[in-house]
Amino acid sequence: MSQESIWDRLQRIDRRVIYWILFILLMIPFIRPLSLPVSIGPQSITFIEGLRKLKEGDVVVINISSGVSAWPECLPSLVAVSKVLIQQKAKIIFWTSFVDGHMTFEKIVEKVPEFKKLTYGVDYVHLGFYTGAEPAVAQLAKNIRSIFTTDYKGTPIDQLPIMKGVNSANDVKMVISSDTGDYCDYYIRQWRIPYGVPLAEIGIAMNFSAYQPHWQAGILFGVTAGARGGAELEKLIGAPGDATITMDSINTSHLLVIVAVILANLGYAATRRRK
Amino acid sequence: MGYPTTMDGILGIWTALALMLFVYSYPLYKENQLFRFAEHFFIGLSLAIAAITGIQTTIRLAINPLMAGKVHYIIPILLGFMMYLILHRDYRWVSRYPIAILVGSSIGLGMRGTIIPNILSQIIATITPPKPGADATAWFNFVYIGIGTILAVMYFLLTFEHKGPLLYPTRLGRWVIMIGLGAYFGNTVLFRMAMLSGRAQFLLQVLGLVPF
Repeated sequence: MSQESIWDRLQRIDRRVIYWILFILLMIPFIRPLSLPVSIGPQSITFIEGLRKLKEGDVVVINISSGVSAWPECLPSLVAVSKVLIQQKAKIIFWTSFVDGHMTFEKIVEKVPEFKKLTYGVDYVHLGFYTGAEPAVAQLAKNIRSIFTTDYKGTPIDQLPIMKGVNSANDVKMVISSDTGDYCDYYIRQWRIPYGVPLAEIGIAMNFSAYQPHWQAGILFGVTAGARGGAELEKLIGAPGDATITMDSINTSHLLVIVAVILANLGYAATRRRK
Repeated sequence: MGYPTTMDGILGIWTALALMLFVYSYPLYKENQLFRFAEHFFIGLSLAIAAITGIQTTIRLAINPLMAGKVHYIIPILLGFMMYLILHRDYRWVSRYPIAILVGSSIGLGMRGTIIPNILSQIIATITPPKPGADATAWFNFVYIGIGTILAVMYFLLTFEHKGPLLYPTRLGRWVIMIGLGAYFGNTVLFRMAMLSGRAQFLLQVLGLVPF
């Protein structure tokens, strides 16, 4: 029986070993932060610049089309953006196309202490869940009250001071869409293009490649790439948070992926040459 | 937010942790009863929440207005019910009408806003050079995107055989597409890692090793 080389053995490593190493590696930076530097991309800079243009009383919609499972990716950016919106004294309307979206809203409020100084229904509101994908987004642009008659607590929309005079996309100064899917496309097609409402995307990293061309073309004024984008926003507003901590963990895991890819390719090349 | 102090809160996070570990027992160990329990529990719960939300939304958006006298709301309600006939072998054809209306209206709505952001703006952005004083990276991106776009489009010239003058441009075009898909895949991996890091953090938080 021929003796196995190290390359042969490397190619036969049980995937569970790699998963265990990965899971342990991900945990280490949370216990002992590495404080690796985070460079800031132009998409994040224009994002914050766009938010800073808002004036007191401007109405901003935050569309939550990401679930609780995407919190590590989207929540830090939502928190950072909410902080800037409150600094700009903007009125914030949240709504969601995810059934667990109200949990994200409540988490944002919990993580942004400034919300405690504001009045619900006057300075910010969560209108709740809507369904119907692109036709619903189009209808929201046309007539918000045809989709939402109450907020998520059941208060009639006309009893909410923040909603006074806010009926359609024409009354909204900006939309921030947080996505794990393609809702940002719906907002581009139904809000940005027909009504000219400035739009930015808080997406999972997977969405970044899809929305980067829209940022390049000026359709979106900002795009974030998941937790990485969140860390960039946190750095830009000078408030390090969850994403900054998470980035150490993600960087460590990427190191493992890079090492695994190199080893696997070296092993493949070595065994192929021998054959 | 600190570590939960109420019984509900403590029970909640420990249940969540147990279910999470049940799910991870599949990749970290092997398929087992605990994994199957968590899997079925998750699917059942998700479906129940989706069903309740669906019923509540239908009542709020259709039934309530109908009861308030807006008789035309009977149309979407009927169309909705017609969709369920997909489950009946003899009357399955009826469900095609609401599906056709849904698909048709979605395509119509989607088309109106597609040309400008997905075609015109992309072409303008591709052919617009960087502003004076832009750094070398901006110029590299401009040249790469411009040439890459042409080469990638050439790859889809399927009415001509990819040989002669088309051989190398289409081959390069394929490389450009692969680089693009590679970036896409890289970002997908980044997303999965972030999800996993969130769970790793949660595990440490429940165990009290890092603050909540």
